[in-house]
Amino acid sequence: MKKIVAIALLVFIGALLFTGIYAIDGFPKYGEAKVADRVSEGYIMKNVTEANTDVVYGVSTNLETGSANYVTSIVVNYRSFDTLGEVTVLFVSSLGISLLLGGFSGKLRNRCKANFILRMGSKVVFPLIIMTGVYIFIHGHLSPGGGFPGGSMIASAILLLYLSDEKFRVNIENFKKTESTAGSLYVIIGLLGLVISNYFLSNFINTGTVGALLSAGIIPIIYVLVGLKVGSELTGVITDFLKEEVE
Amino acid sequence: MMNPVLLIAIPLLLAFLSIILKHYKSQLLLLGSAVNMILIFGLQKGEYIIGGFKPPFGINLVLDDYAFISILVVNGLFLVINLMSFDKIDKLGTVLLVSLAGLNGMLLTGDLFNLFVFLEITSITAYILSSVSKKYQYSFNYLVLGTLGSGLYLFGLIILYSVFGSLNMADISKQMATANLNQMLIPTFLIFVGLAVEAKILPFNGWVKGVYGNANSLVGPLFASAYAGTMLFVFGRVFVQVLMVSSYLKVTLIIIGAVTLLAGEAAALSKTRIREILLYSSIGQSGLVVALFLSGLVFPAVLQIFNNIFSKAVMFTIGGKMADDTGTDEADELQGAFLKNKLAGLSFTVAAFSLIGLPLFYGFYSKINLLLGIFSLNNFWLPVVILLGTIIEGVYFIRLLVKLWTPGEEGHISTEEYATKFTIKIELAKVIGVVFLSAILIIAGILPGMVRNNLTESGQLLNEESPSYMFDLEGGI
Amino acid sequence: MIQYAGIILMLIGIYGLLTDKNVIKIIVSLNVFELGLNVFIISVGFVKDGVAPILTSVNNHSGLIFVDPLPQALVLTAIVIGLGTTALGLAFARRIYMKYGTLDLEEIGGNN
Repeated sequence: MKKIVAIALLVFIGALLFTGIYAIDGFPKYGEAKVADRVSEGYIMKNVTEANTDVVYGVSTNLETGSANYVTSIVVNYRSFDTLGEVTVLFVSSLGISLLLGGFSGKLRNRCKANFILRMGSKVVFPLIIMTGVYIFIHGHLSPGGGFPGGSMIASAILLLYLSDEKFRVNIENFKKTESTAGSLYVIIGLLGLVISNYFLSNFINTGTVGALLSAGIIPIIYVLVGLKVGSELTGVITDFLKEEVE
Repeated sequence: MMNPVLLIAIPLLLAFLSIILKHYKSQLLLLGSAVNMILIFGLQKGEYIIGGFKPPFGINLVLDDYAFISILVVNGLFLVINLMSFDKIDKLGTVLLVSLAGLNGMLLTGDLFNLFVFLEITSITAYILSSVSKKYQYSFNYLVLGTLGSGLYLFGLIILYSVFGSLNMADISKQMATANLNQMLIPTFLIFVGLAVEAKILPFNGWVKGVYGNANSLVGPLFASAYAGTMLFVFGRVFVQVLMVSSYLKVTLIIIGAVTLLAGEAAALSKTRIREILLYSSIGQSGLVVALFLSGLVFPAVLQIFNNIFSKAVMFTIGGKMADDTGTDEADELQGAFLKNKLAGLSFTVAAFSLIGLPLFYGFYSKINLLLGIFSLNNFWLPVVILLGTIIEGVYFIRLLVKLWTPGEEGHISTEEYATKFTIKIELAKVIGVVFLSAILIIAGILPGMVRNNLTESGQLLNEESPSYMFDLEGGI
Repeated sequence: MIQYAGIILMLIGIYGLLTDKNVIKIIVSLNVFELGLNVFIISVGFVKDGVAPILTSVNNHSGLIFVDPLPQALVLTAIVIGLGTTALGLAFARRIYMKYGTLDLEEIGGNN
């Protein structure tokens, strides 16, 4: 009975949504978004603060933000304050998890013993995963990816070690120190921007040539910090979840 | 010149550092909130850009009169509550620092998506703080409803973005003035639902009972004052300044607010536990404030938020402390508790009287302005609802006060025992804190002109036209 | 169309939230809801024949037709926030199981 009521209610809400949303003048049909009418046009032309007519890969230099990846330029430069908040969300939820589960000292036992292939294979794959993760967050301003996926990859490598070796434990204190330092540095870079150019989180380093590895000013620095922070936070989360109450 | 972004950046920096300096978490928390209080007095009103990109492209912080008084009050209450319950902070120091940053961010931001991010930060800290009571199913319930609510907020926001092409509050508000408001029903309603979950509006407040009803003397007052106040201030900002609401939807939403008011007060009347009475009263007050904001009465709404959060900070501190010490907050079992602890009892009484709106207290000033404002709208049913709510409120608070001030009958569940226990354990810091807060309520009641001048230095809050119904009664007489 | 799919996924998630009483299933429903929302956000920025908003040696200048990069940036934030709440929810779920020995909220309802 309850299910039928719920379905009826949702069909009603769904009908309202479909008719309501698509009746709005100016709501674009799928595939017909008018980017030119949105703020995104400024992000694509990189002409929010400075007049600029065209951005060319490998040629344009010293733009307001030098990231070749537009999404990164928004995430870590135009709307960097959101990203600071996002990092904080992850920080505080990992903190909450360690308050809830971190007090236990035992470790969950694996259901079945890790076999030879897993044990040996994980040792081979581990450095490769770490390297890919680091590559992804260092190249966040040039290619898809960035601090968050890169950091998750590092944490996944640690999870692999947990699964393959029963006795494996990370030294969580070091990860916490990394997390804390990276987070503090993010805020300090923001404050430096406030001191140097009067705007919190402003891009105060020369942005270089679009497409070069050493370009985009503070973007790669922040993405490396975010990557380290996310990696150590998620490692902390995994470690806390693998703990068990000792009887 | 101080940049208000420091109010967010400094608590965040201290929160990150407190992971390394883990033995000084509570000291860092006090440092952070004290530094924030000092910074607030060095602030200059204006618009502050983050990252150097002009809005609507970048994110900006807006420090107008409305934002200024709200951060002043929220940071002040945050500091006082933490000082009062310093012993309870312990491991929560980092979480509280993050929540301070989140609250300030919500009050200051001028960008709707940035508001979503800070809303999430604040709600996640709230989920963690609520789990201090060890009633995890309630925290879980809160988490699910909160996440769903902010998801719906984001949904509404994205629809606005795809129509207007911007996320900036000022920009959207400008474009909305020329839009067909009847088509904007869905996004407006979705954003209302998203904010209503946190603002405790019916029917989205299923989480409140479990979370507020089990909160201790640190978490309870924080939720009922700093968090609740912030959510209502943000609601006012979004629904008065940013979104234009079509008249039919406005009437519907005002009715939702009025129903919340009556339902909350009626539920409070039927309860016997102190914290349950307080939490239903908080729900009722939220409904009232939402109805006022939607009617366009910004000034009375802000006065009423102050009245509610100052009183609730006092009452939840004392109620939570009783429950912490005696293990119960049944009014019947705590009969006569205030006889043993007169200062705390007096503060509780002042807070209750102010909330009801008796003369000589600040609440009278806010209620009279509120009613005059409503009458100026030519609305015939809203004043009736508000007066009815006030009467119910008066009945249950006076009933509660009578119980707590008079000793129980001989042989009744050992009044003496609970009362004594309560006396021994209440600390000096809490007494000073609650007396301080209730003194503010009395002073503001005797000299309302002071509040008014501070509130409306430029005569305007949120572009509201200079209210003609504003009214000072020295001493409430 | 993708956009309809997003809205329908959100509704399915809400259906799960309304009818399920199992803590883990509620978290899964919440994730389905968020997934639908993310699909919807991405779809709002799609431009037919637009290329991914990254300058490379092939798509090398800003005159090309790009899809809207802003919704993608917003989705990145929304995903990370969703991850945070999901992880916290799972931690609550473990605590609930430790305390009550069950994951069914109706069974817990009785013994506070």
